[in-house]
Amino acid sequence: MQITLLIAVRTWKTVLQNRAAAALTLLLGIILCIATWIGWQHFKTQQQQQQHYKSIVREQWESKPDKHPHRMAHYGYLVFRDKHELSFFDFGIEQFAGVSIFLEAHKQNTANFSEAGFSNGMLRFGELSVAMVLQLLVPLLIFFLGFNSIAAERESGALKILLCQGISWRQLLAGKMLGIIGVAFTLFIPVILLTILLWAALSHWHVSADAALRLLLLVVSYAVYFIICAGIAVLVSAFSSTSRAALTTLLGCWVFFLVILPRLTQAIGARLYPSPAKIEFAAAVEADLHREGDSHNPDDPHYAQLKSSLLQQYGVDDVKKLPFNYSGYVMAEGEKISAAIYDRHQQQLIDIYERQNHFTMAAGFLNPYLAIRHLSMALTGADFTTYADFQQQAESYRYQLAQRMNSLQMKYISNETPAANDKPAAISHDHWKEMPDFTFHFRKTGQVLPTQTATITALLGWLVLVLAGVQLASRFVKTL
Amino acid sequence: MQKGLFQYAFILFCRSRTALTGVLILLVSGIAGLYLGSTFINRQQAMIRKAAAMQPETTRRNIQYFGKELGTLLYHNRYTMADQPGNWAAFSNGQRDINPYIMSVSMLGLQGQLYDTDLSNPVTLLYGNIDLAFVFIFLFPLVIIAFTYNLWSAEKESGVWRLLHPHAERPAGILLTKLLVRIVVVFAVAWLLLLIACLYLPLPADIRLLWVFLAVSSYLLFWFALSFFVTALGRSSDFNVATLIACWVGLNILAPALVNIIVSWKYPVPEALQTVVQQREGYHEKWDKDKQVTMTRFYQHYPQFRKYSFPQDAAFSWSWYYAMQQMGDDEAASGVAAMAAKLQQRQQFANNAALFLPGIQTTLRLNEIAGTDLQHHLDFQAALQQYHENIRLYFYPFIFKGSTVKDVDWNQFGITFFRKYSTEKCWQLLSVLLFTILLSCMAWRMLRRKLTTQ
Repeated sequence: MQITLLIAVRTWKTVLQNRAAAALTLLLGIILCIATWIGWQHFKTQQQQQQHYKSIVREQWESKPDKHPHRMAHYGYLVFRDKHELSFFDFGIEQFAGVSIFLEAHKQNTANFSEAGFSNGMLRFGELSVAMVLQLLVPLLIFFLGFNSIAAERESGALKILLCQGISWRQLLAGKMLGIIGVAFTLFIPVILLTILLWAALSHWHVSADAALRLLLLVVSYAVYFIICAGIAVLVSAFSSTSRAALTTLLGCWVFFLVILPRLTQAIGARLYPSPAKIEFAAAVEADLHREGDSHNPDDPHYAQLKSSLLQQYGVDDVKKLPFNYSGYVMAEGEKISAAIYDRHQQQLIDIYERQNHFTMAAGFLNPYLAIRHLSMALTGADFTTYADFQQQAESYRYQLAQRMNSLQMKYISNETPAANDKPAAISHDHWKEMPDFTFHFRKTGQVLPTQTATITALLGWLVLVLAGVQLASRFVKTL
Repeated sequence: MQKGLFQYAFILFCRSRTALTGVLILLVSGIAGLYLGSTFINRQQAMIRKAAAMQPETTRRNIQYFGKELGTLLYHNRYTMADQPGNWAAFSNGQRDINPYIMSVSMLGLQGQLYDTDLSNPVTLLYGNIDLAFVFIFLFPLVIIAFTYNLWSAEKESGVWRLLHPHAERPAGILLTKLLVRIVVVFAVAWLLLLIACLYLPLPADIRLLWVFLAVSSYLLFWFALSFFVTALGRSSDFNVATLIACWVGLNILAPALVNIIVSWKYPVPEALQTVVQQREGYHEKWDKDKQVTMTRFYQHYPQFRKYSFPQDAAFSWSWYYAMQQMGDDEAASGVAAMAAKLQQRQQFANNAALFLPGIQTTLRLNEIAGTDLQHHLDFQAALQQYHENIRLYFYPFIFKGSTVKDVDWNQFGITFFRKYSTEKCWQLLSVLLFTILLSCMAWRMLRRKLTTQ
């Protein structure tokens, strides 16, 4: 054990004494600090902008005069997608998902105005976030630092001497790996502390327990990821005859697994589980709607039956004699049916997307980068599940809004249509305030983790594999 | 002598494992990129055909359900415009996965409909598709690096250089010949892929092909120049490969990522939300105002309709209703203009940044030529806006006159297509060439100096 530690310390020192390595490490540290700062500024600008419009929307909603409630249902509501406070760390799908949905009666609208829609294609090269640096660049640094850890000793002949002195292969590999991990952590720990400090300071020391837990899990996950990368670097170095071969293998792996494979995986997933385009989706919803009944069509059998059973139940011969507003009742019924149909189709769509994403997450077993990428997105509330939650919560708010307006209509609006020249029917504007504002609820960490079992297992699997590799490699490596 | 040298160098290189692997990687990924890019566009084309087939059918159904009153039918009926991808779009998919390519709008306020998106999985958008342009921009430089990083250092490290150097007439000539061999091989692969693309997609032989040819060639030359410059520093192979990979990461990942975050932080687009709020308010508040207010403004906008009166005493009339809808768009005009200005600023910034980043420059130009960039989508939106305006102008008289559904020829509202491409900013590719020339000159001087001091 002591020998292992000794080798680790020596490796750590040699790497850090190397001017180029030290410069690279420092550079990466600076980039990380910039990423934290810009990420936070960006988060704050976006958040302020949304808060501003959120309050305008609320103000305008409450200040509407006396109206017919169905007019209010069509006036509708504009809701905005909240960003999680940790999303400054990892942008995830933030920039590719719409930020606002217009909610109105009868109709489900798309989430619009994603940042990507305002971008001219440069976004495709990636974005500078703390997560991007940690996921993509730190492994590259680890590979640069670790490629010659064993191979160079072999080339210089030092390996033979070391092994002759009674150091076992296992101790050597473990020591080298610990040394490389040590270097990575020398960079990672101060930067992550700085990030946490900066984050806490920028959020005025109001840090929720859940966010702190998420961040803690993030730190642990990234630490595991770096250990995996360091292990791979040392193992490749041990199995390569020259340090040049080790370097080219590692760089090739980096390019293949971190640049090409992620795109390819998701592209394959999207083709394995094809999702409908909007026109197909809309056509399917419409077909189901026509099957169930059309509230706009007075001759529709579903609504004709509804009408006759209502008349019978209340013992009247005309809908105008019903004790509530009949058209409000019909619209409530229509909204119920159409929302249920839409929800069913939307759920199917979400399921298809989930399957596409799960394909990539499962590929995490082959490619730890994909595992950490998805886990990180989930922990920073910038993943697909959070987005689907937003859509679902917005739709449920829309439904409540429409149905509240329908029940107001049933309760307060007369069945007698005002004459053509009369004032239109209206109810007091006091009712508008009764509708609560939309607030998005993020999942608690406990609800996030079950969605990430695949990625967590993949990371742990890789960790075990790498550690076992270091233990077992001694049987297969050549000294010369 | 020189020709013989070239032949030897060529044979030597072609027999190496690096050459074979590199060429194979490029060919396989290039063809895969071509396939994935074209299936993506084929699907969009299939959807457009579907939309075109559905359009008369939905109109017919709308007439059946809502045909009692023209006003009701116009409320429901939608008119479709498709952004028809050209074959070049398969070469460079650009932003076509993010921006909607089929837009169906009703006669109601346009600003409430113009920004609706297609359904897509944001994770798929995040990872992006693989197309041939991706292979050219990201993978070719890596193979160029792999081919050239030890151009000189390998000779020195193996000791060959020390034997060779004193005897060679022009030692620099040997290195240049080796470089030339690699340039020839990489360009052969690149042009072969372009040729395959031309035949497979197929691509017309027009000015666009010439520009793409130039864009790709100058980009590849840039990487050769950069690679050669690093090689000419005369350092070890390890140093070269590390430096070149760092350049690749810096130019193709780090710098663009930095520019991106600066753009979205420096130029946020709150104008988008402002537009939506303005449009919604501009229309809905008119319900609570005197009808005369709306109609006066409407007649100001369209004096040609002054000759039609509207029923002042009725609680509701369709002419008033559509005039209110028009007010939504009219009052959102300032937001729309501000948003357009902001998007121009963003594009300007990105284009300026691209002058220093060859990878981005080439991507932006390829997207421009392929008609898959942001400007193309903005042009599509503008075309849709014009189409929507024409529909409004067509129907307003019918509404004022109280016409019925039968008075309108509905067959004329089939799907309309938008097709456009541009090569307007292609001159910016000069920046890539300029960097190439600069780096080549620096590399040459460096090499000469290193050789004489040896």
